[in-house]
Amino acid sequence: MAKSSSTGSAKKKKKSKGKINKKLSSLNSDSKKIKGPKENPFESIWSRRKFNILGKKRKDDERRRIGLSRSLAIQKRQKTLLKEYEHSTKSSTFVDKRIGEQNEGLEEFDKAILRSQRERQLKLKKKSKFNLSDGEEDDFEIQGGGYFPERDDFEDDEPFCGDDYDDELPDGRNKRQFNPHDAEGDQDSRSAEEQNRPKTKKEVMEDIIFKSKFFKAQKAKEKEESEQFTEQLDKDFASLVQSEALLSLTQPNKMSALSSLVNDKNSNDAAKKEEAPRMHTKVSIQHEKPDHYDKLVGEMALDMRARPSDRTKAPEELAQEGKERLEQLEEERRKRMAAGDGDDSSNEDAYNSEDDVGEVSKQISHISGDDLGDSFSDVIPKTKAVWIDDLLTKNSVTDPEAEDAPTSGEEEDDNEEDDDADEDEEGEGSEESSDEDEKAQTLNDWEQSDEEQIDLEDEEEDDDSDDATGKKVFMGHQKKILVTKGNQNNDSGAFRVKPIVKEDVHKKGELPYTIEAPNCFEEFSSLLENYSDDQVVEAIRRIRTYNAIAVAAENRKKMQVFYGVLLQYFAVLASTKPLNFKLLNMLVKPLMEMSTETPYFAAICARQRLLRTRTLFCQDISNTGKNCWPSLKTLFLMRLWSMIFPCSDFRHAVMTPAILLMSEYLMRCPITSGRDIAIGSFLCSMVLSVSRQSQKFCPEAITFLQTILMAALTNRQRYESSQLCHLMELKALRPLLHMQGRVEDINCLDFLTLMDLPDDSPYFTSDNFRASILCAIIRCLKGFVDISEGFKSFPEIFLPIAKILDGLAEEDLIPDALKVEIKDVAQLIKIKSEEFQSLRLPLRIRKQKVIKTAIPKFEDNFVNGRDYDPDRERVERKKLKKKLQQEARGAVRELRKDNHFLFEVKERDKARMQEEKTEMYGKYRAFLQEQEHAFKSGQLGKNKKRRR
Amino acid sequence: MGRAYKMKGQKRKNKDEKYDREQSVEIGEPSKRVKTDGSDSEKAENLEIAVGDIPGIPIAPLDTGINKQRVIFVLEKASLEIAKVGKTYQLLSSDEHATFLAKNKRNPADYRPDIAFQAIQTILDSRVNKSGRLKALYVKTQQGLLLDIKPHARLPRTYKRFSGLMVQLLQNLHITATGNGEKLLRLVKNPVTQYLPTNSCKIGFSHSSEKLIDMHNYVGKINDGLDLVFVLGAMSHGKIDEDYVQDYISISEYPLSAAYAISIITNAVERKFRIL
Repeated sequence: MAKSSSTGSAKKKKKSKGKINKKLSSLNSDSKKIKGPKENPFESIWSRRKFNILGKKRKDDERRRIGLSRSLAIQKRQKTLLKEYEHSTKSSTFVDKRIGEQNEGLEEFDKAILRSQRERQLKLKKKSKFNLSDGEEDDFEIQGGGYFPERDDFEDDEPFCGDDYDDELPDGRNKRQFNPHDAEGDQDSRSAEEQNRPKTKKEVMEDIIFKSKFFKAQKAKEKEESEQFTEQLDKDFASLVQSEALLSLTQPNKMSALSSLVNDKNSNDAAKKEEAPRMHTKVSIQHEKPDHYDKLVGEMALDMRARPSDRTKAPEELAQEGKERLEQLEEERRKRMAAGDGDDSSNEDAYNSEDDVGEVSKQISHISGDDLGDSFSDVIPKTKAVWIDDLLTKNSVTDPEAEDAPTSGEEEDDNEEDDDADEDEEGEGSEESSDEDEKAQTLNDWEQSDEEQIDLEDEEEDDDSDDATGKKVFMGHQKKILVTKGNQNNDSGAFRVKPIVKEDVHKKGELPYTIEAPNCFEEFSSLLENYSDDQVVEAIRRIRTYNAIAVAAENRKKMQVFYGVLLQYFAVLASTKPLNFKLLNMLVKPLMEMSTETPYFAAICARQRLLRTRTLFCQDISNTGKNCWPSLKTLFLMRLWSMIFPCSDFRHAVMTPAILLMSEYLMRCPITSGRDIAIGSFLCSMVLSVSRQSQKFCPEAITFLQTILMAALTNRQRYESSQLCHLMELKALRPLLHMQGRVEDINCLDFLTLMDLPDDSPYFTSDNFRASILCAIIRCLKGFVDISEGFKSFPEIFLPIAKILDGLAEEDLIPDALKVEIKDVAQLIKIKSEEFQSLRLPLRIRKQKVIKTAIPKFEDNFVNGRDYDPDRERVERKKLKKKLQQEARGAVRELRKDNHFLFEVKERDKARMQEEKTEMYGKYRAFLQEQEHAFKSGQLGKNKKRRR
Repeated sequence: MGRAYKMKGQKRKNKDEKYDREQSVEIGEPSKRVKTDGSDSEKAENLEIAVGDIPGIPIAPLDTGINKQRVIFVLEKASLEIAKVGKTYQLLSSDEHATFLAKNKRNPADYRPDIAFQAIQTILDSRVNKSGRLKALYVKTQQGLLLDIKPHARLPRTYKRFSGLMVQLLQNLHITATGNGEKLLRLVKNPVTQYLPTNSCKIGFSHSSEKLIDMHNYVGKINDGLDLVFVLGAMSHGKIDEDYVQDYISISEYPLSAAYAISIITNAVERKFRIL
C-alpha cells in the first residue's frame, strides 16, 4: 500500500512538471485502449499569448493545451474520485494486499519473486526464532541442521561474539584475535605497543652518541661559515673605502682613522704601501675645497633663533596702557609745574603742541578701528564752524533787528535751562535706575552688540553720503535746504583759514592729563569753562581714556553718568545763542562712541528725553497760539539720535518713538509762518534720511509736503484740491508760498540762519525765500518719490501731488529753473505710477487653479514579476499571501470541478436508472398488453410466445 | 424637527463624499455623466457647498467648468511596442534597435515612439489640460492596444524615462501614481468608441483630407454643447481611417508633425475657451 501511494505521488509530480508528451503518449495508449484511435480535436490546440512580444521566448509552462489538460483531469478523476464515490455506499471493501499487486509495471513472474523474497526475509528475522513452527517449516529447518541430541540449549548461546566469527571459532588459532576486546582495533594497538616498549641500553647509548656527533659537526660547520662571512665583509669594506663615493661622503678628519682602520684590516694584504699615498692626496684635496655643507652648518650656528612675535593686544590692555600713559604725563606735568614756573613756556608750548600733535596722531592711529573714516574732528569741521560763526557775527552786525534775537533766545534759554535742570534730575534719576538696569544690561548684551554693529555701519554710511555732499557731518541734511552749496563752500574756504590760526594761538590753556569723570553737569561745565573748543574735546577724550570701561568695572557707572552729562552739555550747547556749531560738531564723535560703549544707557537717556519733549509738545499744542514747532535743540538731538541708533530696524527703542514724534510734529503743528515751513521741511528731510534706510512709509511727511505745495498755489486751484488734505489739522492755510513777484535766482538757505530769524522777519515773506524753500521742498519730494518706488499704492500716494505740481508749473511767477524741476518730478511720478498701474490685473473672483498632477510610479529596467518594494519583509509577506490566494483559488477550482464531475456521474447513473426503469416498465406493459390481448382474443394459454 | 436637521447634516456630508467618489469615477467612465443630465445641477450645488466652507467670504457663483465643453484626444497608430532585447525589455525605437529590428525582419522606419512621446507631451502641457478642460487622452498602438492616460498624470519629460514608463505599462498593464494607488495609465479594452461621450464631435486630422480649413474658425463654429474629440495619427507614414470619426479635416497646406498639429489644435481650443 505504501509503495503504491509513493508511486502515485511520483506520477503527480511528473504531471505537475508538465512532461506532457510522455503523458500524451500514455494517454494515447490509454485512449487507444478505451476509445480506439479517435482523437479529441480540442486536445491538439495550444494556448496563445495575449500580447505577443518580439524577442521573447515562450517557456514550457507558458505553452499549454487547455483541452488536453482538461481531458487529463477527467481521467484522473475517473481513477480517484469515481472509485471513492463508488465505494462510498459500500460498508466494506475488498483490499488486495498481495505483494506487488498494486504495481502495474511488474510481470506476474516478478511478483512471485518479490513474494518469495519477502517470505525469506521474514524468516531470517530473530523474532521469528521463537515462533512455533507449523509442520512444513520445521521440516525445512531440520533439513539444514539435522538432529543433534547432545547439543544443548545453552550451547546456542556460545557464539555471542557475533555471526561473523562463528565459523572460525573452533580453530582458536590466534589468542589475541580471539580476545573479544581486541577484536575491533587490533592493528592500532599493535603499533602502539611497539612504541611503548622500553628501549634497550645499547640502543640508548647509540642514540646519545649519534646525537653528540651530529651537534659537533653542526657547530663546526657554523663556525666555518661565520668566518667566511666576516672575511668577505672585510674585503667588501676595503674596496668600498677605496672607492670615491665613500670618501666624498665622509668627513676628512674621520678619513684618516678610517683609513688606518682599513689598513689594519688589510695588514695582511700586500697593497698597503700603494694605498697610503693615494689616501693622502685625497685628504689634501678635501682640505683644499671649502665644504659647502660645513659652511651652512656654521652659518646656522650663528643664526638667531626664531622668537614668538608680540601678540596683538586686547582692547582692555590698550585701554590700560592709555590710562597709564596719561598718568605718567600728568606726573611729568606736575613736576614741571613744581620745578620751572613757566620759564620756558615756549618750550613747554612747543612740547605740548608736539605732544598734542603726537597724541592726536596717536589717537587717530589708536582708534583707527572705530574711526569714522571722516575727518570731522580735525580741519574741515573747524573751518566750517568758523565760517558759520563768521556768518553769525556778520548777521548780528548787519541786521539792525538782531537785538531782538537775544531776547527771544534768552527766553528760550531760560526755558531750556529749566528743562535742563529738570533733565538733570531726570538724568540722575535715570542714572539711579540705570544702576538697577545694569543687571538687566547683562541680559541685554545681545542688544548691545547688535546696536554697536549697526551703529558703526550707519555711521559709515552717513559719513559716506556726507562726504559726497561736501564733508559736513552734523548738519548733513541741511544741504537739502542749502541749494548750490558746494560753490559757496569753496568760495568761503579761502577766507576761513586766518581766524583759525588766531584762535589756536590765543586760546591755549593748560589741561590736566588725568581728569576724573564729572558727576554732574555743573562740575563738568566748570571744568570746561575757560578752554577752547579743541581743548574741550581733548578733555573729553582724556576723561574717556582715564576712565575707560575696559580698565575697571566700576568705570562703567562713571561713564554712564558722564554720558548723561555730556548729552546734557550737548543739549545746552545746542540751545545757546550764538550757536557754537563747531563744538557741537566735535561733540558728536565722542557721544557716538560712548553710546556704543553703553548702548543700553544711551537708549534710556534718549527715551527719557523723547518722552519729555513729547509731553512738552502736547502741552504746547493744547494752548493755542503758542508756537509748538520743535526748537533747534530738539532738532539737533533728533539728528544725533538718528546717527547714533540704527534707523533701519523695524522697531527700535529710540528710533521708532523718535520717528513718531517727528511725524507728530509734521502732522499737528499749525503752519503759520515761513519759519514753520523751514522747520517742517527740515523735519521732512530728516524723516526722508531715516526712512530711506528703513524703507518705511511716512505719510505725514508726504502730506506735509503736499500741503506746502498747495500753499504755493493760487486760491482757485487750491479750492479744487483742498479735499485732498482732509487729514491735516491745518485749518486754513494762507497762500504762504504763493509767489507775488518774479524772482530770477534761487538761493540756498542756511537753516541755522533761518532759525535765528524771528517769526515775523520780512525775509520769510520775500519771494526769494519762497522760491528757495519751494525748491528745497521739491527736492525733498523727489527723495520721497525715489524711496517709495516699491509701494504698490504709489500712484494713489503721489498722483494728487503730481496734480498740484502741474498746477504749480503752470503759474507764471515761478522761476524757470524751479519750473524745470517741478516738471521733472511730476513726470517722474507719472511714469512710475503708470508702470504700477500697468502691472495691476483686473480683479478676479479667484486665481485660476492648475489641475493637480500626479507622478506615475515606475522603475527603470522594469522586470515583470519582480517586486520593487524596498521593504523585503513586506515583499515576502506579499509573495506568501499571493501564493496562499493562488492555492486557495486552485483548491476551490478543483473542488468545483470535482463537483461537476460527480454531478455528471450521478446524472449518468440517474439517466441509466431511468432508462432501465422505462425499459422494465415497457417490458411489463408489453407483457400485460399481450396478456390482455390474448385474453380478449381468447387465446389464453395457447400461445407460447410469452415464454420467449 | 430635530430629525430633519440631523438628516440634513448627514445628507450634506454624504453628498460631499459621494461627489469626490463620483468625480474620480467620472474620469474613468465618461458615459455616466451623459446619462444623468439631472444630476449635473446637483453636483454644482454640492461643489458650492464644499467651496463655501470658509466663513466670512461671500461666494460668487464659481465657474467650475463642469458644464463646459471638454476636449478628448485620441492618438491612433502610435508605435509603442516593447521587445526583449538581450535580457531586458525595451521600447523599440528605430535609432536604438535598428539591428534588432532588421534581425526580426521589421522595418525600422515604423518604430517611432518619439512621435507619440512628443504628441502626448504637447497635449498634457497645453493650457487646455492645465485648466482642467482636457477630459481624457487615449493612445492606440499599432498592435491595437488602447492606452488610457489620465490628464493629470505628469509624464516623464525625458524620452528615456518615458520609454521606461511605457515598458512597465505594457507589461504591467497599468501604472499607479506615487502615494496613492490611483491608476494614471492603463490598458483598456477596445474599441475606443465606448469611452467617447455620445454628444461629441469627433474630428479626425489628415493631411490627405480635401477639406482644408482654418482651425480657429472651425472650432469656433462647433456647437458649445458638444464635447470635442480630436483624432490624430502618431505615426511617421500613412493616414488614419477610423469609422467613428465624423469629419476628416486638414488644418494646413503642409504636412505637419503630430506635436505641431496638436499645438495648433490646442491653441484654437484655448482661444475658443478663452483660456489665457
